[in-house]
Amino acid sequence: MLVVKNLMVFFENALALNDFSMEVREGEIVGVIGSNSAGKTTLMNSLSGLIIDMRVKELRKGGERITVYGEILYNGEDIVEVKPSDRVKKGIVLSRERHPVFPESSVLENLKIAGYLKKREEVRGAISSVFELFPALEDLKNRKAGFLSGGEQQMLAIGMALVVGPRLLLLDEPLLGLSPLVQKAVVDAIVRLRDEGSITVVLSEQFARPVLPVIDRGYIIENGMLTLTGSGAELMENPEIKSAYFGV
Amino acid sequence: MFLGTVVYAVINSVILMLMAIGFNLTFGISGVANFAHGALYILSAYVSWMLLNMLGLPFFISALFSILITTLVGALMYRFVLIRVRGQVLSEVIATFGIGLAILELFRYLGFVGFEYTLPVFIDTSFFVAGVYVDMQRILIVVLGAVLVFGLWLFTHHTSLGLAFRGIAQDERTALTLGIDTDWIATLSVSLGAGLAALAATIIIPLGSISPGEGYDVLIKALAVCIIGGLGSTGGVIVASFIIGFAERFTDSYISSHWTMIVSLAAILIVLTMKPSGLFGKQKELEERI
Repeated sequence: MLVVKNLMVFFENALALNDFSMEVREGEIVGVIGSNSAGKTTLMNSLSGLIIDMRVKELRKGGERITVYGEILYNGEDIVEVKPSDRVKKGIVLSRERHPVFPESSVLENLKIAGYLKKREEVRGAISSVFELFPALEDLKNRKAGFLSGGEQQMLAIGMALVVGPRLLLLDEPLLGLSPLVQKAVVDAIVRLRDEGSITVVLSEQFARPVLPVIDRGYIIENGMLTLTGSGAELMENPEIKSAYFGV
Repeated sequence: MFLGTVVYAVINSVILMLMAIGFNLTFGISGVANFAHGALYILSAYVSWMLLNMLGLPFFISALFSILITTLVGALMYRFVLIRVRGQVLSEVIATFGIGLAILELFRYLGFVGFEYTLPVFIDTSFFVAGVYVDMQRILIVVLGAVLVFGLWLFTHHTSLGLAFRGIAQDERTALTLGIDTDWIATLSVSLGAGLAALAATIIIPLGSISPGEGYDVLIKALAVCIIGGLGSTGGVIVASFIIGFAERFTDSYISSHWTMIVSLAAILIVLTMKPSGLFGKQKELEERI
């Protein structure tokens, strides 16, 4: 479904992604695991096209020079230069890190804004299926999103991405700042989305422990480079991963 | 005299609100402070006047065309100039003020100054309201103001385009990830702001005359209202218009018209010392908007 070939991203002369390649097949949950500043967010921004928008805006005001090399093939088509709103229309939807919600709007309004590209009835249907997935949100639907807890905001952020109608859902650090209990709820929801909603998922994480058991394949990224890849089970058994991410 | 002052204060407040609401809408959505707002207001009035008097079109057709043309000018301004300086507040202000200056001074240079430059009132009649005569045009202004506020509220809360406006106003990058083309929405926001300026001109100008100087006045009034209300807040604009509108008229009636400007400026000073982001404004971090 998605093939990344030799992707390189520079911010001025700093190399954020170095010759990164990965593959995502339909119906998989793929994890990109790495520490802070490893290049996870740059990868997610490259896949969603945000980097193209950032590049255009930096160029217009004569700011930082962003350069992207390589190929991103989505169902066989090279989308590396396609702008983000067009990628969303193709079904690639990103939920950014740190629970991106519109803080001044109510939960319901957040979900409605997410339905920008859809017809009114479709949005209504999508919102009710989000409430089915995260029943906690339905009770909070009239509350301003800025007043939600971190976990609730994350659920809302995923819910917003779902209303957009993804075929490939990109989740950038969905577990960041959440309690272990909420982390488990979010991971369970991601698995349910794949199983019942036939949505392919790419998620990036620094917490390997909660996600390794559910991912089909994982890519370990360090300093913008791919260092290790394998199935979730293989990675869990790998001694380096054990020492670096599990502390054993 | 008291009731009469109140009636005219309400009218004055609605006029201020109409002048400011477009400026505020553009700023609230795309963060562009459009300092050509007053020039666009005057531009639409002159276009309307030219269509009416040079081409001999009926008033409502020429008003409609002038609103459409001004809206288009707003869109072109964003597409060709503002898009390059987006997010750099000072450059935005200088660029838009420069465009405004060019428009206004061009009309002055071409000799469009004098009392004959005005637009006709919609319906020439007047009423007796609370002991004072009020002409139909002023009543229409109040009605239109109310309709416009309600319409804008409906638009931003219940249409997908309006909701997208609210989204990009809060977090542009998140809006991008939801498939909202933020450049397109920002273009629309500037052109909608320009259209609102034109609409305000169409209904307010018949009370006075069209002159380049009026463009600067409108800009200053819009800024004053937005600063007191808090930039980007529609509720703030309404409240602030009424504060300034009442302060001006009551100073006129009970003190002296020399003091009108001073009282409004004092109102700005007091609000800014007590609440620097305005009554309803939230100081947005610059980097959040880029």
